[in-house]
Amino acid sequence: MLDKHLLVKLKSIVGKEDILTSKISREVYAYDSSPFIHEPEAVVFPETTAEVAEILKLSEAYSIPVVPRGAGTCLSGGAVSLYGGISLVLTKMDKILDIDTVNETALVETGVTNLNLQKAVEPLGFMFAPDPASQKAATIGGNVAECAGGIRGVKYGVTKDHVLGLEVVLPGGEIVTTGALASGYGFIPDLTGIFSGSEGTFGIITKILVKLTVMPETMRTMMAVFDSLDKAGEAVSAIIAKGIVPTTLEIMDKSMIRAVDDFLKLGFPRDAEAVLLLEVDGYEVEIDRQVDVIEEIFREKKASSVQSAKDRTEREKLWLARRSGNGALGRIKPAYMVQDITVPRHRLPQMLRFVSDISKKYDITIAQMAHAGDGNLHPHLLYDPDDPEEFERVEEASHEIFETALKMDGTLTGEHGIGLEKLPFMKLQFSEKDISFMKRVKKALDTNLNLNKGKVLEL
Amino acid sequence: MDNKELKKKIRECNRCGFCQDVCPTYRYTKNEAAVARGRVRLARLISEGKYKWGEEDEITEHIKTCLLCRACVVNCPSSVITDEIMMKAREEINFAKGFNLFHKLLYRGFLSHQERLKVAGMLARFYDRSGARWIVRNSGVLNTFRKLKNMENILPMGLKPPLRSQLPEILKQVNKPKFRIGYFAGCATNTFFSDIGKAALLYLQHRGCQVEVPEIQCCGGPHKSAGDMEEAKRLAKENIVTFLKGDYDYIISDCATCGSTLKEYEELFKNDLQMKEKAQQFSEKILDLNKFIADYLPPDEDLKALDKKVTYHDPCHLVRGLEVTAEPRELLKRIPGVEFREMREADWCCGGAGSYCFTQQEMSAKILEGKIDNFIETGAEILATSCPACTMQLSAGLRKKSVKAKVKHPVQLLAESVGLV
Repeated sequence: MLDKHLLVKLKSIVGKEDILTSKISREVYAYDSSPFIHEPEAVVFPETTAEVAEILKLSEAYSIPVVPRGAGTCLSGGAVSLYGGISLVLTKMDKILDIDTVNETALVETGVTNLNLQKAVEPLGFMFAPDPASQKAATIGGNVAECAGGIRGVKYGVTKDHVLGLEVVLPGGEIVTTGALASGYGFIPDLTGIFSGSEGTFGIITKILVKLTVMPETMRTMMAVFDSLDKAGEAVSAIIAKGIVPTTLEIMDKSMIRAVDDFLKLGFPRDAEAVLLLEVDGYEVEIDRQVDVIEEIFREKKASSVQSAKDRTEREKLWLARRSGNGALGRIKPAYMVQDITVPRHRLPQMLRFVSDISKKYDITIAQMAHAGDGNLHPHLLYDPDDPEEFERVEEASHEIFETALKMDGTLTGEHGIGLEKLPFMKLQFSEKDISFMKRVKKALDTNLNLNKGKVLEL
Repeated sequence: MDNKELKKKIRECNRCGFCQDVCPTYRYTKNEAAVARGRVRLARLISEGKYKWGEEDEITEHIKTCLLCRACVVNCPSSVITDEIMMKAREEINFAKGFNLFHKLLYRGFLSHQERLKVAGMLARFYDRSGARWIVRNSGVLNTFRKLKNMENILPMGLKPPLRSQLPEILKQVNKPKFRIGYFAGCATNTFFSDIGKAALLYLQHRGCQVEVPEIQCCGGPHKSAGDMEEAKRLAKENIVTFLKGDYDYIISDCATCGSTLKEYEELFKNDLQMKEKAQQFSEKILDLNKFIADYLPPDEDLKALDKKVTYHDPCHLVRGLEVTAEPRELLKRIPGVEFREMREADWCCGGAGSYCFTQQEMSAKILEGKIDNFIETGAEILATSCPACTMQLSAGLRKKSVKAKVKHPVQLLAESVGLV
């Protein structure tokens, strides 16, 4: 438990309604969407930037670790309190402060959910391009901190490409602004970029100025069925090679298809080895030609069937199916470890095949899906926590997948973050010098190492 | 559900967090313990032996604040049956700690006994109409008991005599009936909203149905929600026997909760060899009133214009229980002159949730306020719905905000339109 004086001070900052310390409260803030479980000593819900600043001052004064948390949907353990301390839950800072359609920006508080932002800008003809599968719950602050991707990533990029400026509370409580939010607009090094993907280890993001994207005039959504993951992967490479940049290119394997079909009853081809979901968007005149080329490629790569979404409802159902992938796996096994290794696109078929082989080699179920267009794979290694032997095999398989991805010039993480999960593998990807530089940056910003301690870097 | 099955169901939650988007109690608390993911996590800790049912008051509290609205269930990629897990949890807590006084008084004391309910209804009517209510409200005596005051506020105004006492005037022989209907006049319809039942019976007869209204027991829905499965089964058995005797074409209810509970009798007795088949026969005949009128009767040609702006609130037990959502809207749109306006989040729970509005007053009031705000936004003058518990809650919400609008069952508008009431 936290020091009594500290608790009194915390209460005086946020009010007694906004702090939880009971045993049971700590239990429900001990997890996120990853397999890691570590309890905080107190759960605090600031409602203003000033409150966040006061809390960080206390954290420095009492040397108490602070873990920022949004909706708690992190897949790499970023939101769990490894060293106890304060779980700083930012979901009560959930106001959309401004939507500016002329400058195509929105200013939001950190706890606004991705979906609520989408709902607010959609009637005005805009979208916030990053759309992680967790968008129903995940917050914009969390999206920035993890540099979330999404299914539109192929064409529109990831979160960092859509953040124009930030308000951040630094360790010690100083409130600063970066990028277009700051008055000193001309400072060239990308300070906003430093915080994108910093996984809550550099500062607490409290406000975000995001770039809005004009909704495309038209969209076409297609589903192609293949009798192997390889072929689906080859189709992806071929489409990209033709110079077409689809909005999304998503691959799902058989177990994934079955799990989501059990949920949504869409009549997916349950015996298909692989499904490729694809969307192109743009102006009406350019879309038809693209669709022709894509259909041609599907024929060449021997897709067993190709369907187009008839209307908006059908399209939304297809994407809901894709977004429900993670969650639906609970139908097969109670737990999973999901990776987000990324390989160069031409290596995608090879990597998909490798993961399938690994699944056989270690006798474990791996449900695969991939943001194929970015070469970003999501192998879900399923296990039962009550079977320690199986978990061991999952860990070994996991290790081998990481190593292979790196050998193929890939990276450990495309969008889920390093967190706790990939910490042991950092050395595989980065040289000692590189890691030492990262540590220096971290220490320059968070000298006393109180922010999200134990994540990303071993310090 | 035995403990092994419970554990399996609990573990199907892999903590994706999608439930946060649809859970009313999470929206107003932002507390992880008040959303399916957290509640199921707590149930899991117990199923794994870390805590025991009933021993941690905080866990008990979080289990009880679930509305059982099932919004999380239908939106969960793994279809985790949080509502059933919560009911099972409540059963276990009752088993460990015994029933609380509220439950003993209201559920086992009144709802289980129709004759006592009748007396209670008479007292409530006397209280409402004799001037006693006016005196009590103005004396300020209720202010000393905040909780009691809130309960009193929810009690409907202008109570009419119970439906059962009006039956001799309402029911009549129908020539060459198209259907023989057994009407399940639930406790709330009978005691508090006899106008709904009356409109339904008159309208069904007008459309050529021969209707009987057998003596019933409470459907057992409230008992189930509170984790009192034993009593729920006892009541269910009596209802099954009563209605099967009548050999009706369909058994119809105007109450979403009764309807969905009756439909689930089949599930309730799935492991009871003696009752299984009968329960199945019974449940197959259950239909929601809206659905019956919309899908089983030809369009009504006698409908006269009713110039009203109307919106519709989906009761949880109808939209996610019996999966009836288009039919009541269809009925409303069929009435000439009705301007139907869809309400934002029409399928969100109103916070009534059976006795939830009495037992969890603060949370219930917050959820209700959001619902009423959405209603005001539509600019409608009639808030249609198909559940007496929702009707009670929504009416109280309108009174509290001094909104001049009425809550009505679609069948009341149909009956009005053809001039029956």
